[in-house]
Amino acid sequence: MKIIKRDGRLCEFDRQKIIDAICAAMSRTEKGVDLQIAGRIAEEIEKFCEGKNEFSVYEIQDMVEKKLMDSSRKEVAQSYIIYRYNRDVARKSKTKDIFLDIIGAKANDITRENANMNADTPAGMMMKFASETTKPFVDDFLLESDVREAVKKRYIHIHDKDYYPTKSLTCLQHPLDKILNEGFRAGHGSSRPAKRIETAAFMGCISMETIQNEMHGGQAIPAFDYYLAPFVKKTFQEEIKKIGEVISKDCSHLMNYQPEDYIRKDAGDLKGDERYLQVAINNTVNRVHQAMESFIHNMNTIHSRGGNQVVFSSINYGTDTSAEGRCVIRELLNSTLEGVGNHETAIFPIQIWKKKRGINYEPTDRNYDLYQFACKVTAKRFFPNYINLDATFNQNNLWKEEDPERYRYECATMGCRTRVFENRFGEKTSIGRGNLSFSTINLPRLAIEAAHLAQERTGLYFPLGEGSEKHMTRIYKDTVLRIFMNRLEYYCDLTARQLYERYQFQCTALAKQFPLLMKGMWMESEKLNPDDRVEPVLKHGTLSIGFIGLAECLVALIGKHHGEDENAQKLGLKIITFMRDLCVGYAEKYNLNFSVLATPAEGLSGGFTKYDKHEFGIIKGVTDKDYYTNSNHVPVWYKCTAEHKAKIEAPYHDLTRAGHIFYIELDGDAVKNPESVQAVVDLMDKYNMGYGSINHTRSRCMNCGFENADANLERCPKCGSTDIDTIQRITGYLVGTTSRWNSAKLAELHDRVTHDECCGKESE
Amino acid sequence: MNIAGFYDESISNGVGWRAVLFVSGCPHHCPGCHNEKAQSFTYGEPIDKKNLLQRIQENSILRGLTFSGGEPLCPENIAEVLDFLYEVKKIKPNFDFWCYTGYTYEELLKRQDPVTEEFLNQIDVLIDGRFILELKDPDLTFKGSKNQRIIDMKKTREKKSIVLWENE
Ligand code: SF4
Ligand SMILES: [Zn+2]
Repeated sequence: MKIIKRDGRLCEFDRQKIIDAICAAMSRTEKGVDLQIAGRIAEEIEKFCEGKNEFSVYEIQDMVEKKLMDSSRKEVAQSYIIYRYNRDVARKSKTKDIFLDIIGAKANDITRENANMNADTPAGMMMKFASETTKPFVDDFLLESDVREAVKKRYIHIHDKDYYPTKSLTCLQHPLDKILNEGFRAGHGSSRPAKRIETAAFMGCISMETIQNEMHGGQAIPAFDYYLAPFVKKTFQEEIKKIGEVISKDCSHLMNYQPEDYIRKDAGDLKGDERYLQVAINNTVNRVHQAMESFIHNMNTIHSRGGNQVVFSSINYGTDTSAEGRCVIRELLNSTLEGVGNHETAIFPIQIWKKKRGINYEPTDRNYDLYQFACKVTAKRFFPNYINLDATFNQNNLWKEEDPERYRYECATMGCRTRVFENRFGEKTSIGRGNLSFSTINLPRLAIEAAHLAQERTGLYFPLGEGSEKHMTRIYKDTVLRIFMNRLEYYCDLTARQLYERYQFQCTALAKQFPLLMKGMWMESEKLNPDDRVEPVLKHGTLSIGFIGLAECLVALIGKHHGEDENAQKLGLKIITFMRDLCVGYAEKYNLNFSVLATPAEGLSGGFTKYDKHEFGIIKGVTDKDYYTNSNHVPVWYKCTAEHKAKIEAPYHDLTRAGHIFYIELDGDAVKNPESVQAVVDLMDKYNMGYGSINHTRSRCMNCGFENADANLERCPKCGSTDIDTIQRITGYLVGTTSRWNSAKLAELHDRVTHDECCGKESE
Repeated sequence: MNIAGFYDESISNGVGWRAVLFVSGCPHHCPGCHNEKAQSFTYGEPIDKKNLLQRIQENSILRGLTFSGGEPLCPENIAEVLDFLYEVKKIKPNFDFWCYTGYTYEELLKRQDPVTEEFLNQIDVLIDGRFILELKDPDLTFKGSKNQRIIDMKKTREKKSIVLWENE
C-alpha cells in the first residue's frame, strides 16, 4: 500500500511513523506515553488500509484522530489537534511579521538578500511575499524531517529554496547558435533566423531574458565571440551590396573578400575596390560597435522576473581568432570601456575572458593585443574576469586549434562562479548545460560542535578559537578531527540525499513548463514533447554540495586558519579533498553529476553566523565577525601578499569543480597601471587556478566625471562636488551603492584588506 | 640608514606591481609633503636588508622596486640606497628600478659625484623635482605635481638628453 505525501510523491506505508506521532502527542499529556495503545491504533489503521490502493497523509491523520477519540485516551486526540493548530498559528503569525517587514520597506536582512534586486518596488514586494511564503511550505511538505532539522539548525542551507516548488533548474550556458540559426520557436509567435549583427546581438538578449523566467539562477553565453562572428561577415556583405547599389556597379566579386582584421581607417586616399572594401569595413565596425553598445544597454535595463530584476547575465569570450570574432571582441571591449549612459560602469553582463596559451596569452599569440586591451578594460570597469583554460582541469583533449567549432570544448563559467564542464553522460562541455540545484554546508558549525564533543570526551576544557592550539594535546587533536570528519560525512550524505530528492521532484516537471529552455536549449531537450517529463535530460545538469567558512572551521578545530599556518592548510585540503571524494561516491551511487562548490556567500554567510553566534557565543576568529569567510578563501582581513593568497587558494580550485573564484583586492588606481591586472592573470596561470577576478573600487564624480580608486571619496578633488558614486563588487556582481547590501556583506567589505600596501610596515 | 616604511607590493608607485622602499630623511621640506614625518633622518627603523631581500625574493608578482621617501638621493642616503639596489639586482636580475627624488635631474648631474652617476646609470626611471602644492593634480599618473617629470633613464642615457617615459 502507498501513501500520497503532501507534495504528491508516493511512499511506502510505515507503521512506525504513526506510532511516533501518537507518542509525541501522548508525551504532552499528563498520563504520558502508552506504547500499547499507540501500537494498537497503528495496527488497526494498517489493517484497514491493507489491500486498498492509496491514501493521503491527511486521510491517515484523520483516521488517527478518530481512533484516539474512540480510545480511553481522548485527551491525546486533543493534544494531537492542538499541536497541529498551534503550528498553523505560529506559522501564520510569523508570516504576518515578515509581511509587515516587507511592507514597511525597512532595511532589514530579508529584503536585502540579493544585492541586485530592488525589493521595495511593488513587483519586488510581490516576489518577496511569494518567496517568504513558499519557504515554510517547502519545509513542511517537501523536505524530509532530518533535512528540515538540518536546515533549521543551520547545518545546511538550501539555495533558492523559494523556487523549490516550481521545479525550476538553476542556470544555463546558452547554445546561442541554435537560436541564431533557427530563430525562436517558443512562446507567442516565432522569430526568423538572424541575418545581421544587430538582430543577432538582440536575439542573444532575448534568449537570456526569456529563459531567466524559466529558471532561478543566472544566464550565460559560453562563446559570445564565436556565436556572433558569422553575423559580422553577413553585415560586411550587406555593406558591400549597399555600396554596389549606391555606385551602381557590380560589386559581387568583393562579396567573398576576407579582411585580415576589421579596423577602421580613413578611406579618403584609397581608390577603386580598395576604397569600397575599406568603407565597407568601416561601416561594419560601426554597426558592430553599436550592436555591442545596445546589447550591454539592454542587459542593464530590460527587467524580467516580475519587473524588478535584470537578468543575471554573463558572457564568455576571447578565443575566437577569426577577423570577425576579433571584431566582436574589440567592439565589445570598446563599448564596455566607454560605459553606458553617462559613461557609467555597466553592471551586466558579467564578462569573462577565456585566457588560453597559444591563442591570447603570449605576446606572439593572435589575440594577445585584445588580451592586453581586456586588462585595460578590467582596470577601469572591473570586467572582464578571467577564466584560465590552461588550468589542467579546464582542458579537453578534443580541443584542436584547426577545429572551427573548438569552443565546444572550452570551459565556460557563470559570472558568479558556477562551473559545469565534466559530464557522466557525454563529452566534457559547458554548452547547453547548467546546475540543477545546490546546497551549502556550514563548516564552522560542524567544527565548533566537534570541538565541544572532543572536550567532553577528553576532559580537556579550554576556550576555542584563535590561540587555542597551545591547550591541545595529541589525543584531543585526534579526537576532534575524527569527530569532525564523521559529522562532515553525515551532513554530506544528508545533503546529497536532499539534492537527489529535489532532483526527483524536478524530474516530475513537464517540458512545457520550461517552454524555451526545453525546446532544444538544454542538452538533448529537442527530443522531448511538450507533455513529456523532463527526467531523461536532467542528467546533464549538475548537483553541487557547497561549503562556507573553511577558515573559521580550521580556527575552531586547530586554532589557526590556512592562510597563516602550513598545518592548517594541509588540514583544509584534507577536508575539501574528503568532500570531493564523497561527491565521487554520490555520483556513482545516484548516477548523477555531483561536485563540490566553493559557495559564494551572499545572503547566507550572515544567517549562519548570526545563528551560531547566538548558540555558541563569541569565539575568537570563528564567530566574532558578522559573516563567515567565503568558501576556501583566506579571510579578507588577513594581511598577506597576493602571491601568498594565490598559493594557498589555488589547490582548492581543482577540488571544487562546481565552481570557484580567486579574488584579488587592489588598492591604488589600476587604470593608471593596467599591467597590474595582467600580473594577476599571470598568478592564475602560474598556480593552475581556474577562475579569478579583480576587486577594486571606482569612485566617480557625477558632476565632472573625475574618477579614482578611493573607496571613501566624499568630495571631488577636481570640482568639489559631493555627488560621488562608488562601485564595488559583491559575489561577482557589481553594485553601485552599498545601501542594498545585507549587513553581513557590508561587514565583510569593511574588513577587506587590499593587496596594495597591505604589508606596509609604516613605523609609528 | 633608517626607513620610514616598506610596501611588499604596490600598484601606485610605477608600472606593474612593485616593492617600494621609503627612505627616512629629506632636506627639501616641500609644503604639503605627502609624508612629513619621513623628513627626519631618525624617523622609522634602521633598514633590515636581509628581511626585505627575502620578502622581495619570495614574491613573483613583482616587476620591480621603487625608491621613495623621504629623499633617497640626498648625500646621507644615496650610497646605501645604491648598495641595496645592487643586492636586489643580484637576486632579481630582471627587475626594473624606479626612483622618486625631490632633486631635479639637472641638479643631480651638477653634483659630478661618481656615486650619483653610478646610481643614475643603474635605474630605469627617475621621477624628479620637488612637490609643489599649487601644481598638484589628482589626474596625474605616478607623480604628485605637474612640475615633476617621469624620465626614461635608459633612453636618456642612449640619447644623452632627457627622454620622458611613456607607457607602451
Ligand atoms: S621631496 Fe618629497 S619627502 Fe621631501 S619634503 Fe618634498 S614631498 Fe616631502
Ligand atoms: Zn568633480
